[in-house]
Amino acid sequence: MLDFEEEIRRFQPSLEVGEVEDAIVKEDLTDMTDLMVELLKSKKE
Amino acid sequence: METAKKNRQIANAYYNLGLAKAQHRDLCGAVKALKKSLRFDKYQTDARNLLGLIYHEVGEVGAAVAQWIISLNLQEQDNLAEEYLRKVHAGRGYLEVADQSAKKYNQALAYAQNENEDLAILLLMRVAAEMPNYVKAQELLALLFIHQENFTKAGRCLYQALKVDPYNPQALRYMTIVKQNTGKAEVERKKLKNAFSHRQMQDDDIILPPSYKENTGLQSVLNILAGLIMGAVVIFFLVMPASREALNSRHNEELLQKLEVINQKNIEIDSLHSQMESAEKAKEQAETSLASLLSDQGSTTGQYQKLVQILQAYRDGDLRTAALLYVELDLSVLNDGAVNDTVAWIQQDMEANGAQLLEQMGDEAFAQEGGAAQAAEYYQKSLLIQKDNPGALFKLGNAFQAQGNTEQANQYYGEVIMNYPDSEYAEQAKAQRGY
Repeated sequence: MLDFEEEIRRFQPSLEVGEVEDAIVKEDLTDMTDLMVELLKSKKE
Repeated sequence: METAKKNRQIANAYYNLGLAKAQHRDLCGAVKALKKSLRFDKYQTDARNLLGLIYHEVGEVGAAVAQWIISLNLQEQDNLAEEYLRKVHAGRGYLEVADQSAKKYNQALAYAQNENEDLAILLLMRVAAEMPNYVKAQELLALLFIHQENFTKAGRCLYQALKVDPYNPQALRYMTIVKQNTGKAEVERKKLKNAFSHRQMQDDDIILPPSYKENTGLQSVLNILAGLIMGAVVIFFLVMPASREALNSRHNEELLQKLEVINQKNIEIDSLHSQMESAEKAKEQAETSLASLLSDQGSTTGQYQKLVQILQAYRDGDLRTAALLYVELDLSVLNDGAVNDTVAWIQQDMEANGAQLLEQMGDEAFAQEGGAAQAAEYYQKSLLIQKDNPGALFKLGNAFQAQGNTEQANQYYGEVIMNYPDSEYAEQAKAQRGY
């Protein structure tokens, strides 16, 4: 059977249209290439 | 550079996987793959655009808009995201509805997490009505219904969610629970057994539940009409005959009782008629008897009158009249206890003296010219009192002889001769008769 509390915890709030701007700003767009570049940078240093 | 190229290749690979899953309608799987693609290459525009598209498909319009805006920022030219955003903004009030739906969903989630399930359900039902493809809202609503053990409604919500995202693992999991609790799992297992299939069912094969039709208003009205008609038919064919039967039976019973009473009365009337007839007959008889008594001298009244006359004659010393009356007296009628002694005394006296007196009267009458008939009468009356009197018999014969009635005379002569042969009158009778 279901554990109601656990299941409820799995649900995340939806992004409201008014919050899109904030969400975009906070979006982490780091990809693998960025990580590799960081690694290379730190290695060079 | 090689790494960047490899990253792009991996990103492309994940994008292709995501695209394939999206085409197969595995939206959750597509999202995972596309996110991975963007992890390897944030400039994979197609992946980002597709990701936005999938978000939009499942009702997450805010998230979709965010991805498209990011996509447009990362690639301003030749980007489908621009078209998507234009279409979303072009739809009248669409963004507003989507925004309100998201707000309601968030509020409902907060209610649900704070144990205000009823409020959460109310909000989510409105969201589901406005945006039936909002998968997360449908799932949350289904979860709340399952928690309230309203599995039927939960099933409806999950059906809507699975229409949009058929491979949604959460929705599928909830649906399994719903089917277990509504017996649908068993039904489908049975259907599966008889289903014709080109391939064998796998564990992860999904069977979508049959569509469920809500009762519309028209259907409800039709159902009510059908129910009314059936009710009327049942009453007409089942209830009314029985009711009529009972009424008839009661009526017949009452009728029988009344007839019984009438019958009784008729019997009484007949009895009374009969009694009346008897009474009338008795009255007639009494009247007849009374008339008879009053008119007939031989009747009791007549006899009592004679008795009175005899007594009067005694009082007057007229024994002859008394004797003549005595011979006409019917002593059997005078059985009244009050006059018995008087009658006995008269009888005794008459038996002693009356016969002799009447014989003497006969002698006196015979001596007179043409008195033979009168004498015969006196002699006969004397014989009534005392029949063993040969003298009276002989004299009676002489009276008849004198009247020329030889036959009668001889009869009496013969009686004297036969019955009283030793008397002095026997020889005289022989002489008179001639033999």
